[in-house]
Amino acid sequence: MANSNLPRRIIKETQRLLSEPAPGISASPSEDNMRYFNVMILGPSQSPYEGGVFKLELFLPEEYPMAAPKVRFLTKIYHPNIDKLGRICLDILKDKWSPALQIRTVLLSIQALLSAPNPDDPLSENIAKHWKSNEAEAVETAKEWTRLYASGA
Amino acid sequence: MDSEEDMLDAHDMESGEDDFYSGGTDDCNDSDDGEPDYGFVEEDADDSAMIASHRSQKNFCALREEDIRRHQMDDIERVSVVLSITEVEASILLRHFHWSVGRVHDEWFADEERVRKTVGILESPVVPPSDDSELTCGICFDSYPPEKIASVSCGHPFCTTCWTGYITTTINDGPGCLMLRCPDPSCLAAVGHDMVDKLASEEDKEKYNRYFLRSYIEDNRKMKWCPAPGCDYAIDFVAGSGNYDVSCLCSFSFCWNCTEEAHRPVDCSTVSKWILKNSAESENMNWILANSKPCPRCKRPIEKNQGCMHMTCTPPCKYEFCWLCLGAWMDHGERTGGFYACNRYEVAKQEGQYDETERRREMAKNSLERYTHYYERWASNQTSRQKAMADLQQAQTQNLEKLSDKQCTPESQLKFILEAWLQIIECRRVLKWTYAYGYYLPDHEHAKRQFFEYLQGEAESGLERLHQCVEKDLAQFLNAEGPSKDFNDFRTKLAGLTSVTKNYFENLVKALENGLADVDSHAACSSKSTSSKSTACSSKTRGKGKGSSRTGGSSRNPDDNL
Repeated sequence: MANSNLPRRIIKETQRLLSEPAPGISASPSEDNMRYFNVMILGPSQSPYEGGVFKLELFLPEEYPMAAPKVRFLTKIYHPNIDKLGRICLDILKDKWSPALQIRTVLLSIQALLSAPNPDDPLSENIAKHWKSNEAEAVETAKEWTRLYASGA
Repeated sequence: MDSEEDMLDAHDMESGEDDFYSGGTDDCNDSDDGEPDYGFVEEDADDSAMIASHRSQKNFCALREEDIRRHQMDDIERVSVVLSITEVEASILLRHFHWSVGRVHDEWFADEERVRKTVGILESPVVPPSDDSELTCGICFDSYPPEKIASVSCGHPFCTTCWTGYITTTINDGPGCLMLRCPDPSCLAAVGHDMVDKLASEEDKEKYNRYFLRSYIEDNRKMKWCPAPGCDYAIDFVAGSGNYDVSCLCSFSFCWNCTEEAHRPVDCSTVSKWILKNSAESENMNWILANSKPCPRCKRPIEKNQGCMHMTCTPPCKYEFCWLCLGAWMDHGERTGGFYACNRYEVAKQEGQYDETERRREMAKNSLERYTHYYERWASNQTSRQKAMADLQQAQTQNLEKLSDKQCTPESQLKFILEAWLQIIECRRVLKWTYAYGYYLPDHEHAKRQFFEYLQGEAESGLERLHQCVEKDLAQFLNAEGPSKDFNDFRTKLAGLTSVTKNYFENLVKALENGLADVDSHAACSSKSTSSKSTACSSKTRGKGKGSSRTGGSSRNPDDNL
């Protein structure tokens, strides 16, 4: 198993994630694969996602930290920068990745994205359109989805 | 001498230009060896044949790899000395400003601080050097003694192993490695080739150096690689003359503007349409057309496989644009209808501007037959030209010597044969492109079409006579037992045909370059002149539209220039 020669950096990051988790975020490695993390992010207060618990999966590829981790929402979410497969439109997961970033910084960025949806750079066109044309209504839908899909965790 | 003429004029140029290359070797002469010295006396230089890209005022210069490196080093040195910065810093600066020394100077002296910031050459580190005996690497989080830690101008500490990993990854991601920045996500400090030299493997250094060299050509507005297959030379071009034909040391002639092979008198957009059309028949191109769009800046085809309309081209281009309207992303915002529905695109689509590709394909289907007609002629002239080039080569290397023996004539007196070949090569090229021109000449412009086909026909039959004469007639003298008394007649005939053909093609080139404008006022001429004798034709067509009939091929109406 790849776990046997896990880089020290991953071990350190994991330890720190477990011992001092960021507020509203939990990430724990899977038992059979230390590169696969089960992640939970609490919907930030004062956002349409408040009160929701969102599950994500995070995987550290072989090249990590030279390559970005792969992250995806498992919980359905109504958000202009997240598509129906849970893929996230976030620059630091793509061309703005730097090896000096960490799992923690990535998850914090995702949490921030929930607080501040960016319909100007959308992944899901329909949701973005909705957001731009009638924000109040879109926010309602997001709240509704949060209740429907993200509350039972 | 007017400009059209210059361009059809190899002599002046070669004799004047020769020492330009003389710093190096003679290899530019290998393939068209006949040119540099065949301006022999009894012929006026004007009448001799040439390959079109040669002009008396050369506005370009071909560079070998060592020349490129030398130019690059010179520029770096110059900037380094003038700005009192290191050569590494100078090369980062130059790369950032597309290798324009002038621009670097302007920007630097206008606002050094701002330039330092954007380019990433910091004057003092943001992280002060520490006296600690151990430093923590920002990537692997391990502690190291200072000698195992490296950093660029910002001072952010990373261990050498992580640096190597970082540099290796970026180098293997492509030429974007030339714009490498400090791994710290908020830091803009540039990583120069000194770090690469210190930390990368030999193989990666090699790759980096290749990219570095390529950048000097590819990111430079006045340089381009010669597009000939297997040719590693580049062309340094001085804009402004309006003539885009250049020729490389490898003897390949191409258009600087579109990098297709030289295609005067046909314009770049016709050539590009034609070439696209030729390859549109292949599935590959159909797929690219259907599934990709070219980056509006660097023209590489981009496939959109997911995500938003905000596209960012891969480095080094990194152009940000809107997938729908292909406009700059910067211009997008509320007023263009937001980002998911670009208003410009919607409006333009309603106006039918975006159906171009569809329409082109539809047309191709309907007019396949017509297309085939032009394509076959285009392609066969191409083949014919290549054969002529091979024949010229053979004439230079073997036949001339043999002929000189057989006919007891000094080789210097046989240059007229090489001239004939050069004229044929140039004419085949022009003729070939006139078929692309003809394909796109609108059917409803009857008069223009008639005039064009007349000129093309005259030129073509002249060329066929010339080609046949040098191919067939020459053979009999080559295989003769001894000197033949007919040889002088042959000389006269061939030189005459060369000169006549040259005239035909000059007319053709001029007529096409001014868009067959003569035809508008004198549409009748084209049908009338069909009956004219071929020798008279050159003067006749030249005078056409000017209301006067000039005599002799050398007289020029000054109005003809533009």
